[in-house]
Amino acid sequence: MKTLPYIGALCLSLFASSVYSATFTFTAIPDENESQLRTRFDKVAVYLEKELGVEVKYVPVKSYSAAVTAFRNNQVQLAWFGGLSGVQARRLVPGSEAIAQGYEDQFFKSYFIAHHSTGLEPSANFPALKGQTFTFGSKDSTSGRLMPQFFIERNLGKKPEEVFKRVGFSGDHSRTITQVQAGVYQVGAVNYKVWETALADGKIDTTKVKVIWESPVYPDYQWTVRAGVDAGFGAGFKAKLTAALLNMKDADLLASFPRQSFVSAENSDYEPIENVAKTIGMLD
Amino acid sequence: MFAKTVVSKAVPYALGYWQKMTIGLWLLACGCFMLADTEVIALEPWSELGHMLLGVLQPDFFATEYLLEALWQTVSFALLGVCAGLLWGAPLALVYHKPWVAAFCAFIRAIHEIFWALLFLQLFGLSPVTGILAIALPFGATFARVFHDIISLAPADTGQNLPAGTDMLSRYVFGRIVHVSGQLQAYIRYRFECALRSSAVLGFVGMPTLGFYLESAFKQGQYHQGGALLILFVLLIGSISYWCRARLLPLYLLLALVFLPELPAIDGHLIWRFLSQDIWPPMLQGVSHLEQLDLQRLNALGSWLFTLLEKQALPGIFATLILALVALAMTHVLTLLWLPLVSRKLRGKWTVFGGKAMLLVLRSLPEYLLAFVLMLLLGPSMLPAMLALALHNAALLIFLTTRQSDKLVVSAQFSPKLDNYFYEILPRLYPGVMALLFYRFEVILRETAIFGMLGIATLGFYIDSQFVEIRFAGALVLMCFTAMMNIGVDALGRKILKGQKVPLLGC
Repeated sequence: MKTLPYIGALCLSLFASSVYSATFTFTAIPDENESQLRTRFDKVAVYLEKELGVEVKYVPVKSYSAAVTAFRNNQVQLAWFGGLSGVQARRLVPGSEAIAQGYEDQFFKSYFIAHHSTGLEPSANFPALKGQTFTFGSKDSTSGRLMPQFFIERNLGKKPEEVFKRVGFSGDHSRTITQVQAGVYQVGAVNYKVWETALADGKIDTTKVKVIWESPVYPDYQWTVRAGVDAGFGAGFKAKLTAALLNMKDADLLASFPRQSFVSAENSDYEPIENVAKTIGMLD
Repeated sequence: MFAKTVVSKAVPYALGYWQKMTIGLWLLACGCFMLADTEVIALEPWSELGHMLLGVLQPDFFATEYLLEALWQTVSFALLGVCAGLLWGAPLALVYHKPWVAAFCAFIRAIHEIFWALLFLQLFGLSPVTGILAIALPFGATFARVFHDIISLAPADTGQNLPAGTDMLSRYVFGRIVHVSGQLQAYIRYRFECALRSSAVLGFVGMPTLGFYLESAFKQGQYHQGGALLILFVLLIGSISYWCRARLLPLYLLLALVFLPELPAIDGHLIWRFLSQDIWPPMLQGVSHLEQLDLQRLNALGSWLFTLLEKQALPGIFATLILALVALAMTHVLTLLWLPLVSRKLRGKWTVFGGKAMLLVLRSLPEYLLAFVLMLLLGPSMLPAMLALALHNAALLIFLTTRQSDKLVVSAQFSPKLDNYFYEILPRLYPGVMALLFYRFEVILRETAIFGMLGIATLGFYIDSQFVEIRFAGALVLMCFTAMMNIGVDALGRKILKGQKVPLLGC
């Protein structure tokens, strides 16, 4: 019978309620170059710690859905989300707010890229894609899946599986470029910044793959803070945090995201993304 | 054919049991292959493959941050997962003959570690508990099954020699388990190797193991980093017998517990929220009384289920079965062709060593990476996934079979030629190979889930999509379909192998 108290304690600990930890935690997934993730974002944590006066910790995650889950479960109170994941997170935790976005995120866009064998040429008009094979990026990417699928459906009036001979999900922007360049898929949709960086680094063979269409602009990545941080970390915490993010000027820190600067944002900026997600059936 | 010597002594010229089995499997697989999407297209993969090769030849061991931590966590998750799995799986082996226990375990085994992890992520958050449970659950169910199979083959007559009045537990332990304890230990050792692989793969969904960095590196074309991680992983698995000694296990376990990543408190609210909201279909959320279940809601539920079934579950099951069956037959053919090449009875020491090194690499490589390379060569059909599964599983099968075949005692007339091999050795190995193959079928079915993440529309693809869209009810329904499919396959497999005295090669 000696074990009984221990079992009791174990059960109690199972149902202990969540308390705000004194540590402020955040997560971020950059849209390119995930190498040295922790080392890079630990520097951001140090910056925030200095500005906010509380202990700040970076939690590495692997996917947008993991970031959304961590946000929902209060394992992180702040996250650098993509357009779609931000909308998902704010719907799951009412009262959460988008407080800042990258300068570039005010007018983000996707590129459609094509293998040379398709004979498709750059054009301002939506390309003739019927019967091609096509790859998106990862399933939950705003620039690699959500917006491209929306533009396809709006311009061609059909679901991607009806337009294309084969539809794939490469899982990542860099991989989309690799696959279209090798001809695994004939056409693909990719985040414009990832393309520009890879091009500048000489990683793209432009005789094999080129941009054939630029999408209209839409809002993308943003910092979202969880509801109730003022109660957990003191009055005015959210305002202080917002100011700290907007005042981040160190090029080394900004390069981790990678953005030239942060500008202010609010939830309503992302209504277009939410509507698009509903239109293509990714949100109820 | 070779198998004739085993079974057709009594009835000459009739097809033996294993011949029927083999031909049946091949015919079924040919049929499936016709239905499968296996289009090969001409590609230009060479520059990318060149970069990959260069990455493996010039690995950069310093590109990965927290590398030692990742290596250690890979070992630690595997160790703790296997121990927890043993704790709940081994006792269940004693009652595994009950059909509902077998079905329950088949249910648990059917679901890929990655999906268990995604599920536990909702309950425990990013915590080591998530990773360890994701290993412990399916591994426990496998232990239950295999331990039961091993114990049931132990000689039963020792019990009669025990003194009268011996209690049941002693009777069981000293009468039966002692006979097979060597086999049980060998099996646990083998499963530890599997757990290391699983532990690494859990990194794909965010656990802090090698897979976390490996997947990013390959995804984003950092091949020098990826090559280094791959080499480390293969070395880790290849050297298990050197560092994983029985004497050291308690020490490792202690270290694993002490150096576990920080354990966030388990939050009862999360578990309650998951059970009371998340797992219910959207139209049932917020229903607290039975009276609220009106016709309209029930209709909505019906059409939700029907759409899920028609658009995802059925096409998913179809693709999964086709992919898995063809992969199974390919595994079989590859195994038979490859087995003589690494047999010590036929080949010289160095040939065998080289062959075994290649097997080690192939069985350690995550199928996911293999499929990606093959995709660059063959195009985005099902073919790369089939070949990746076949290569990986054949390598494992041969690894397990040669452990046995090298110990076989051959007749004085035996000469190291292929016909001698077919006459004398293969017939003795064949039933074991086939039994292993049927075991592996379940694993192959489960592994198809991974290819869902590469965009091949198996059940895993649809489950992954449901998780991405934060629709847990849909994910759970599809996981139940996966599990039911596996229960069916498991029952069928038992029926096929029933009555065949199949030696378990410590599978």
